[in-house]
Amino acid sequence: MNEEKSKAQGAVQTTGHAWDGDLQEFNNPLPNWWLWAFYASVLFALIYWILYPAWPVAGTFTKGVLNSITFVDSDGNEKTTHWNTRSLLLKDLQEGSEAVRSQEYLDRITAASYAEILADADMMAFARSMANGIFGDNCAPCHGAGGAGVIGLFPALGDDDWLWGGTVEEIEATISNGHYGFMPGFKEALTEQQLDDVADYVLSLSGLETDADAMARGREIFQTSVGGCYYCHTAAGTGLKSQGAANLTDQIWTIADVTGAGSMRDKQAAVKRVIANGVERNMPRWSGRLTPTQIKLLTVYVHELGGGQ
Amino acid sequence: MAQAAIASTEQYNYDIVRKFTIMALVWGLLGMSAGVYIASELAWPFLNFDIPEITFGRLRPVHTTLVIFGFGGSALFATSYYVVQRTCQVRLYSDWLATFTFWGWQTAVALGALSYMFGITQGREYAEFEWPIDLLITVTWVAYFWVYVQTLRRRSQPHIYVANWFYIAFILATAILHIFNNLAVPVGLFSLKSYSLFSGVQDAMTQWWYGHNAVGFFLTAAFLGMMYYFVPKQAGRPVYSYRLSIVHFWALSFLYMWVGGHHLHWTALPDWTSTLAATFSIMLLLPSWGGMINGIMTLSGAWEKLRTDPVMLFLITALSFYGMSTFEGPLMSLKSVNALSHYTDWTVGHVHSGALGWVAMISMGSFYHLIPRLYDTRMYSTRLIYVHFWLATVGILLYITAMWVAGIFQGLMLRSFDDYGNLAYTFVETVAFLHEPYVVRALGGAFFVGGVVVMAYNVLMTVRRSRIEAAELEAKLAAKMARA
Repeated sequence: MNEEKSKAQGAVQTTGHAWDGDLQEFNNPLPNWWLWAFYASVLFALIYWILYPAWPVAGTFTKGVLNSITFVDSDGNEKTTHWNTRSLLLKDLQEGSEAVRSQEYLDRITAASYAEILADADMMAFARSMANGIFGDNCAPCHGAGGAGVIGLFPALGDDDWLWGGTVEEIEATISNGHYGFMPGFKEALTEQQLDDVADYVLSLSGLETDADAMARGREIFQTSVGGCYYCHTAAGTGLKSQGAANLTDQIWTIADVTGAGSMRDKQAAVKRVIANGVERNMPRWSGRLTPTQIKLLTVYVHELGGGQ
Repeated sequence: MAQAAIASTEQYNYDIVRKFTIMALVWGLLGMSAGVYIASELAWPFLNFDIPEITFGRLRPVHTTLVIFGFGGSALFATSYYVVQRTCQVRLYSDWLATFTFWGWQTAVALGALSYMFGITQGREYAEFEWPIDLLITVTWVAYFWVYVQTLRRRSQPHIYVANWFYIAFILATAILHIFNNLAVPVGLFSLKSYSLFSGVQDAMTQWWYGHNAVGFFLTAAFLGMMYYFVPKQAGRPVYSYRLSIVHFWALSFLYMWVGGHHLHWTALPDWTSTLAATFSIMLLLPSWGGMINGIMTLSGAWEKLRTDPVMLFLITALSFYGMSTFEGPLMSLKSVNALSHYTDWTVGHVHSGALGWVAMISMGSFYHLIPRLYDTRMYSTRLIYVHFWLATVGILLYITAMWVAGIFQGLMLRSFDDYGNLAYTFVETVAFLHEPYVVRALGGAFFVGGVVVMAYNVLMTVRRSRIEAAELEAKLAAKMARA
């Protein structure tokens, strides 16, 4: 009776329950916009279910209608299937405008020799564009974005020094097979004095002024079987490429931070540390992880980074 | 007033509510500070200091566990124990069992956080606890369920108030989720390592069925229960629509269980499962909004309260963020939107607009209503509640805006092509872009924690004042007795 009275007055009635003193509830109807919006969302779902794979039924599922995908499978046969995310990706990789454009260039690169690629501005531009991504995702973690390297750890690729050779063939071999760079430590074979002397001699090779007597003693060790440094670094100090031995005469320092050291004393200490402790660096092989064409693109890219040979 | 409070202290078990409330604040402060620290680690990686225990990977589950289960869980225990007693007009069924749930829960949270720092984890998001802690949680949860249901059964009210439906749904669903997602075989009786009973995509689906319903029932339904008591109480007005509360309660409970698969779009998950998850997410939008409408419309006719009552500001802002993130969620659950948003910080932003904007704001508003009643006094400072409100709001806005920028732009960078049809950006370039949004996010987090510090101080002073008032009252009574 109360309810009818209040309806007549146009006021909304509470449910008549009360909790914890004053806690009550109005019995307003569902807001219309809310109800219709809810129905609309259900309708959206119903349409979605008709068009796309949706409900599991008897060991399979409803496939959806008006929505099939045609693509070329791995055997080269054209195949039409119900909508599914895997086929959608395959189709996009085969027919997407970017994929088609990129693939045309890739086919040209695969067929071309290094000389042809290096001479062709258009192919080079493509190689730069694609290899930038391959380098960034695979090489940059060690060699740094742009190939700046980390002195003492990872060689810089932007300088003119090529430990293992800088021709395209040599760079391709380096990327494909990886490298194990090793120099033994001399701290047990040589005395402190001898280490100091060899360090002085090594610095003199790149034209730095060092103590003449120490340098002369150092040369004795470097150029004879006492140290045996010349086996790998050669008598002229230019380094044996087959061993990845550094060229000590070119003023480019990849392991001892000579350029960054301020005083002559610090430079000597930096070189001495390397002679005493040796070097061990490992670059993994990339063949098998990257396709031959990707390695080819990277080779061109790295070759260009350091000016190439 | 004092006498009434003493009477209700005897009638109801307020001690357990106080304990959980204080621990909610303690875990909140610790967990949110951990959040700011790991946000800073992402912006400035040197902060990892190469100490394994404090690296991002270890501290991240510490952060999520402390805020969800430590802060959120304790807030739910506190308010549910309070609400069930007040709306049933009966004391909790068993004091010692309630105390057991307190110690069980706090121990589980503390052990969990410590174990993650030492690398002991199941590696399941929001369910990282290894099996011994899972067992402790299960026992604690069964005790919680028992206390709650037995209290409801003993009610001296003919009807069960709507807030209790939501709390019960939360307790039941969490029990089911916790048990099924943690079905695992320990490597040995004395080994902390265990392996899931499921494997591959079934395992992933079980995990995200759990993960999303943790959002649905732990972080949504339960806090709606909180909302249904504290909003009408603070507003002093009846709930807008009883009918709406019934409809949206059942719709929400039914629909949420289907949507976990939207965390696994474009993966090995079958396409039909993805479709169901996406469509049920869309259908979930309006039922989610039902709670927001009921909360906000409860205030209609009393809007002027927003000008004078900072507690109401907390509650209404919480409902607004709730409405926003429950709109954003269905949007992100669509496969095409998800292709852009997934694996980016948009997801992180979405979670935090819900976690900070909804869960934390509604809890804090409720606490500001609750604490003076628990301690039979007024809040120490209303001004500081305003300060807290603005720090929190600015913090949330900085946080989610930074994450929208980070997520949407990274998503766009990852899918942009150059003139040759090649990807225009490397992954590492997109990471470099994230630095500035990450700095802003850390700043937003710091604002939010700043607000919690202000709240903790305010609460501490309130409790201290209540002690002084109680002592004065006792002295007066003693004097009266002496005269008599």
